[in-house]
Amino acid sequence: MEDVVSGAGSMLMGSLAKSKSVKEPASAPRVSNDVSDSDEQLLIAVGNHQDRAAFNALFSRFSNKIYAMGMKLTRNEQLSHDLVQEAMLTVWQKAPLYDLDRGTAQSWIFTLTRNRCFDILRKMKRQPATVSADDIWPQEGDIDSQLVHEEMGTMEVEVSKIESFYGQLPAAQRAVVEQIYIHDRTHEEAAAVLEIPLGTLKSRLRLGVGKLRQMVGTEV
Amino acid sequence: MNIDAKYHPTPEQLEGFAQGSLAPGMNVVISAHVELCATCRQSISELEEAASEEWLRSTPDTRASSINFSAMIDSIVDHPQIKGDDATSGNVPEIHMLDHSVTLPRALAKVASDGLVWKQLAGGINQATVTLDDQTQCEFLYMKPGSQVPVHKHQGNEVTLVLDGSFEDELGHYKPADFVVRTAKDLHQPASEEGCLCFAVLDSPLTFTKGLARLLNPFIRYRFRRATSAAAH
Ligand SMILES: [Zn+2]
Repeated sequence: MEDVVSGAGSMLMGSLAKSKSVKEPASAPRVSNDVSDSDEQLLIAVGNHQDRAAFNALFSRFSNKIYAMGMKLTRNEQLSHDLVQEAMLTVWQKAPLYDLDRGTAQSWIFTLTRNRCFDILRKMKRQPATVSADDIWPQEGDIDSQLVHEEMGTMEVEVSKIESFYGQLPAAQRAVVEQIYIHDRTHEEAAAVLEIPLGTLKSRLRLGVGKLRQMVGTEV
Repeated sequence: MNIDAKYHPTPEQLEGFAQGSLAPGMNVVISAHVELCATCRQSISELEEAASEEWLRSTPDTRASSINFSAMIDSIVDHPQIKGDDATSGNVPEIHMLDHSVTLPRALAKVASDGLVWKQLAGGINQATVTLDDQTQCEFLYMKPGSQVPVHKHQGNEVTLVLDGSFEDELGHYKPADFVVRTAKDLHQPASEEGCLCFAVLDSPLTFTKGLARLLNPFIRYRFRRATSAAAH
């Protein structure tokens, strides 16, 4: 397992979250105003010296492209704005981990933008999953899947749990919930299939869903 | 753990993975194969380079007027950076099958970390379904030695990644890291002589999953409201 990807150990399970509190020793910021610097030189300057001028240059080269990728994938201005913020923050934070072995700077920035976008979409769709971009594309480096995971915690409901709650419903209520939510029938169709009056169906549905809601609620 | 796989994802699947355009379930199974397969890892980094070229070339350079650039930069550079030597190794995730344990690729370990609920199906097959999105149907499958899946057909494509042991069908014999793709047209009957653990992804959802996901949505919103109102106090 250890040699799967170089440094696979460093990529596991967001163990770096704690490093956020570790301040880098202050070093005099080096100023690079040379606009002909390559993206790679800029990125390495940001990583080695916290070079803000280099970061500004990367920001102006990439932020509009990142915004455009966000608009293409989310069609939402606010989320695209968030994507610029999160992707450029990741560029800043992970710049010390970049080296030329990881490929070009543009490819490195592309992959981390893709990954942040995946996580933003995942939150937007409230997918009941625990897998973050950092689990799927570990090449980028490491960190914060754990943090994202914790933030997501309150929105996640395990399907297996719902399934077991569902199994605890009285048979008559379960049959109604099944017709409506699993077989996707209208109230009228479900009442016909179960051969019960529409009013009975509606009250069983209300009871069943209320009970499920209660069971989920007590789990919070 | 590099394994010489004989069967790999299709070029379209690898490209979609590099571009980030696939459903989470498909991303997970491809990620698990790529972790085991040096050939596909190489292809992915080439495809990422190509995708980044295309991204920069095809994107219009219009300014996002809503962004206050200098304020954003100021807030970003306040954050500490991450140093490489802060990295520590995590735990090695495993899945226990009968008399031995299997080390899972990272993405699958994360999927399994919430616990798997195994169900026994007919023919010596055990199944643990996991929900990763609303576009795919994902499951771990454990085939006991000598077991056979009933002949079946599916809507959409089915991808199966072998994790341990092996299985065979009319077209081949599949070993760990093999990535087997079957389309809707294929009618096949997998069987396993020595026993097999795999992860399978169907790219069309079963009605049941879809229904449960719908049933889930109001609760997710409900819990979210509860969580936000609790946080506000
Ligand atoms: Zn491969």
